[in-house]
Amino acid sequence: MEAIAGTGARSIHKAPEEELTALESLQFTDEIHLLMAAPPDSSSSFTALLELSAPQAVELLHLPESANLISNDSYKPTQMDDFKGSLHFPTDIALIERAARLSVFAGESNNKHSNSEKNSAETASDNSSADPEKAVKSEPAETEYSQPSGSDPTVHKKSVKRKEREKKAKGSAKKSKTAANESSDDAEQLPYVHVRARRGQATDSHSLAERARREKINARMKLLQELVPGCSKISGTALVLEEIINHVQSLQRQVEFLSMRLAAVNPRIDFNFDSIFTPEYMQATSLVDSNFPSMVMPVMWPEAQVGGNRQQCQQQWHLDILHQPGWEREEVCHNYITPENSLLSYDSSTNSATLHSSQSKMEL
Amino acid sequence: MKNPSSSSVKSRFTRRFLRALIKINRQKPSSSSSREIFLRYRRIRIAADKAMACVIGSRRAWSRAVLRRIKNQKRKRLADSLRRSNGIHGMKKMVAKEEDEISYEQENELRKLVPGVGAMDLCSMLDETAHYVMCLATQVQVMRKIVDFYST
Repeated sequence: MEAIAGTGARSIHKAPEEELTALESLQFTDEIHLLMAAPPDSSSSFTALLELSAPQAVELLHLPESANLISNDSYKPTQMDDFKGSLHFPTDIALIERAARLSVFAGESNNKHSNSEKNSAETASDNSSADPEKAVKSEPAETEYSQPSGSDPTVHKKSVKRKEREKKAKGSAKKSKTAANESSDDAEQLPYVHVRARRGQATDSHSLAERARREKINARMKLLQELVPGCSKISGTALVLEEIINHVQSLQRQVEFLSMRLAAVNPRIDFNFDSIFTPEYMQATSLVDSNFPSMVMPVMWPEAQVGGNRQQCQQQWHLDILHQPGWEREEVCHNYITPENSLLSYDSSTNSATLHSSQSKMEL
Repeated sequence: MKNPSSSSVKSRFTRRFLRALIKINRQKPSSSSSREIFLRYRRIRIAADKAMACVIGSRRAWSRAVLRRIKNQKRKRLADSLRRSNGIHGMKKMVAKEEDEISYEQENELRKLVPGVGAMDLCSMLDETAHYVMCLATQVQVMRKIVDFYST
């Protein structure tokens, strides 16, 4: 993650290209600089991008010029005619570039222009960020653009994000130049989606808007898949969502248990502010995200059983917790089997509950 | 647009949370009774949530909702169980139009988990969920480090 962010930052900081004629693309240079200038951390590079890209990805999804900008910044304009037939992308490409890939283009003259631009964008992004050892995959959406530009002159539609503009654009196939001009004007003020109808699909604005919305949702789901460990292998929205839900539940439970432990542990020890901070920051990047949830749960339960003075506490909590409603409490209550008062049954019941949830996760 | 990277989120949360912890631990007369420990546990948990929500501020719907809940809890000692629903609450759509249609069941499940997303559309809710997951993971990581530090 660090390498990617570093590469992205380095590539972005090259000189912007003169061949970009759209004015707003230069405006977005600053935004992209800001985006990439976030200090990369092993865990924060993606999440730093996430902080911005969640709203920004929406914008970047909708702005073709920014997509060109991102990739053209890293590549010389003379190579614009270099056009590879197949488009490759590294799997762990930076988030913004993925958002750029997801955006689609419309407009006839934009077609040729944007085709070559987009293709050069792909090659540029390919060259700028391609490391030989990175796995590549070709986006099916991008194969649309490898089609000859002359095909399907009639299916250019522009569906916009804002509803008022959507009504205006309904059913009208615009002229190429006006489309280009208008798109460049609109990109400056409002984010909107260029959606191109694919072969054999309906071209009315409803299905286009639906498709745009669906693509947004899929983009967000991909983000979430990356965030939740173990989700990238799962295919199918329902399973991924279930995994996400389990993950959120487990994180909330972990916060509770950690605060329990803090309450039990702390009375014996005096606080020393300085000594806290140095080991904290030195180990800041030590945890690996994918191992983290699986590490925490098995570690916590043996610890809970060992603590002598905690035995009565947990009995007490066991009863008190059930009386406390709350957001994260709902599933906590479900997990605790009620009538037992002994420590072992309490722990084993919660243990088995969590084991069941993790087993069901693994079976998926 | 200012981008608070997650390392600054982590450090700011650590600072706030530790300050709150110190304050909580100053009052420890009879620290070994289970009742006391339970009260301290609750205070610590609220302090952790509050610290994280304060760091994020009012930028996110979930942090606003968490701060609102803590404020209401302090006043009334009631959990804020009122959720603004967009009308789908309780409805189950059994037939999915396409393969990766998100079922309303799962959507509502997620709404229950993430604070403050009751009235949002699916897209923004997924955004909020992603940010919430990131912040929760940070919170857990920091708390775990503190616990490890103090149990060694």
